[in-house]
Amino acid sequence: MPFISELIKRRWIFIGFALGAVLLSIPIPEGLTPIGMRALTLVIVSFLFFITEPIPLPGIALFIAVFEVLLGLAKPTAVAQSFMSDSIFFIMGSLMIAAALVKQNLDKRIALAIVRVTGPKIQWVILGLVTVSALLSSFIGEHTVAAMMLPVGVALIHFSSRDGRQVRNLSIAILLSIAYGAMVAGIGTPSGGTRNAIMLEYWKELYGIEMTYFSWIIHAYPIIFLEIPCIAFVLYRTFKPEIKDLSRAIAGLRKSVRESGQMTKEDWLTVAIFMLTVLMWMTISDTIGLGITALMGVLLFLVAGLVRWEDLNNSVNWGIILVYGGAISLGVVMKRTGVAEWISLSFLRWMEPIGIHEGLPLLAAISLMTLFLAAFVSSGATVGLLGPITLNIASLSGTSLIAAGFVTVISSSFSFLTPVASPACNIIYGSGYLKRSNFLKAGWKLLLVSFISILLMSLSYWRLLKL
Amino acid sequence: MKFLMCTDGDENAESAIRFGGKLAKEMNADVSIVHIRPPVSASSRPQLITARKKLGEWNFNIPGIEYLIRAKEILAEIGLTRSGPEKEAKVSQAFRANVDGATELHLIGEHGGLVRLRLREGHPVEEILEEADLGDYDLIIVGSSGHQGISRYFVGSTALRVADLAACSVLIAKNIREDDNFLLCTDGSRLSERAEILGAEMAQVLGAKVTVLSVAEAEEDRESAEKLTRRAGMILAQMGVEAQQKVRMGHPSDEIIDEAKDHDIVVMGSSGSSAVRKFFIGSTPLKVIEYGECPVLIVREKRGKIALQSMN
Repeated sequence: MPFISELIKRRWIFIGFALGAVLLSIPIPEGLTPIGMRALTLVIVSFLFFITEPIPLPGIALFIAVFEVLLGLAKPTAVAQSFMSDSIFFIMGSLMIAAALVKQNLDKRIALAIVRVTGPKIQWVILGLVTVSALLSSFIGEHTVAAMMLPVGVALIHFSSRDGRQVRNLSIAILLSIAYGAMVAGIGTPSGGTRNAIMLEYWKELYGIEMTYFSWIIHAYPIIFLEIPCIAFVLYRTFKPEIKDLSRAIAGLRKSVRESGQMTKEDWLTVAIFMLTVLMWMTISDTIGLGITALMGVLLFLVAGLVRWEDLNNSVNWGIILVYGGAISLGVVMKRTGVAEWISLSFLRWMEPIGIHEGLPLLAAISLMTLFLAAFVSSGATVGLLGPITLNIASLSGTSLIAAGFVTVISSSFSFLTPVASPACNIIYGSGYLKRSNFLKAGWKLLLVSFISILLMSLSYWRLLKL
Repeated sequence: MKFLMCTDGDENAESAIRFGGKLAKEMNADVSIVHIRPPVSASSRPQLITARKKLGEWNFNIPGIEYLIRAKEILAEIGLTRSGPEKEAKVSQAFRANVDGATELHLIGEHGGLVRLRLREGHPVEEILEEADLGDYDLIIVGSSGHQGISRYFVGSTALRVADLAACSVLIAKNIREDDNFLLCTDGSRLSERAEILGAEMAQVLGAKVTVLSVAEAEEDRESAEKLTRRAGMILAQMGVEAQQKVRMGHPSDEIIDEAKDHDIVVMGSSGSSAVRKFFIGSTPLKVIEYGECPVLIVREKRGKIALQSMN
């Protein structure tokens, strides 16, 4: 029996391969080359695997690499090269820097700094948590921020009441403000989320568009400022915390932080090196590449002895780097074999009669498509798979490639509805304080607000930037 | 004997632990309590571990531990363990991570028996079965919320699937009552004989009343059914347990469920019938678990143990 149950657990592999065999044997649709059909098959099967996860995600990346070669879509060296580019260096370096940052005891200082600014009123504390989570996450990524801020949230809850049942709504509001704050802000800078690096790679590799760290911030950051007050307001109104005044919690927090003493020299040095790295990203990364700049930062941390290699080894998710390599590699193949073009043309042919073929309606459609997909697949895989298509649609219809790219990336980070789709929500959900339904209750409102914000951005701000 | 008790923090689980703890105390069994947390996607695992480390730095329990601590309190209440209250403040720090894939805490029981609290992560059914396999347990105790209607299919299914798939005996504790009136079901199979012995053992230590029941599906089977109950009565009598004997006519699972209304625990053997048979006919024990209203003890022979003995 164990054998059979193992087989059943992996049924999606068989379904995937059967689907692949069927797709390879049916007549090739019009407008697609034989090689394109093979690439399309690989895309569809990988996509199925990304959704159902019959094997671990990094395994799917290996599957993509193997079958790109076996199906004759690319030469082995080309596959290897598409797996490791400056963007992947950048992803790797950012994750390592985040690991170095989280190792220091900065979370306690941050917690204290937040309440010092906001005071004891709950609505301001929520706004403070959203803001700080968002600002941090835009530079070091949502995973790390969620891990850093979770204890802060738990501390606030724990110190406000001994009995968790009496502050249930307060717990939800506080923890969700961290999760959502970290989640939406990952698109603020290229280093905020791995999917951003994928989009940068597509722009550069597929269309030759160079987007610098600084101009990314100019384009994307305003939407965070739009989102922050919305999240705080919606969470406060939806969950109506039981306790309005957190003085007791703040006193407890203060005591707990005092016990751990002053900021040490290491803490300061960590912050300094991080600031320097961000500065380098904004200035010299245009010439030496984001990835190399990130690696310089990591080197500095290692030279200063602030992080041991073991820490990096344990806290960086090396498998995820492989996943992004696989996603980018598949995207490049999609573009080169004409699959992206074929899907885009079919999409436009369907959409033209109802007027969704250029400009704002098209961006809205892209956004909806991404929002839908991001609810099932991780944001990285969403951008990896959709990126080449949305960019191609935009280029065919004469819509701005940069606007289409940003709409894809930004929408991919709005997975408010379930705890599973975004890493930040996943980590916060893993704390055991939240139920699935909590995400749904506030999430749909925020989803609506965010969708409108994206449209507003494309209508006004990006028009001003002449995209 | 080694017992594995599962908790998900709700009241049913707590009464299951209270009942299992009492039984363990009387039978001098080693007890482990396991809580299964929902799985975290592998892609955010390193960060989750970081988050837990941070929680530790702030002196907070990692999530899920509170259910185990509650279970430990219950065990202390019924006098199974003797851990002093002075140590409880720092209990989370005593948890060791990653012992056979779980976070665990050891306690020494009142009679020198071992109590282990274990926290695992993953799919409940799979993790409970794996835990039972690793620890070589004789009995798994799972609480089941006797929900009616649609929610039964979701809520109760963990207990049901554990009962179906486990290699050792399983006690599904729902609607636990104070009295211990045993209903021992026998069908003459080798396993129902085991069930009689284990049931008698438990009834003996708990001082419970026992009814032996055999169900005849047709009139001509009545005589053999009576013979079965007499034989079971003799086995019980040998162990010093007096038992009422009863034979009913009809469909086995319906009759057992009906008879169980006047009893507090149903004990029956299960051979883990083949998948084909289960699909078409359904297995009697599983039906009793699903539609019955009281705790059910499914007795199985432990496959692992037998293999070992025959090798020796």
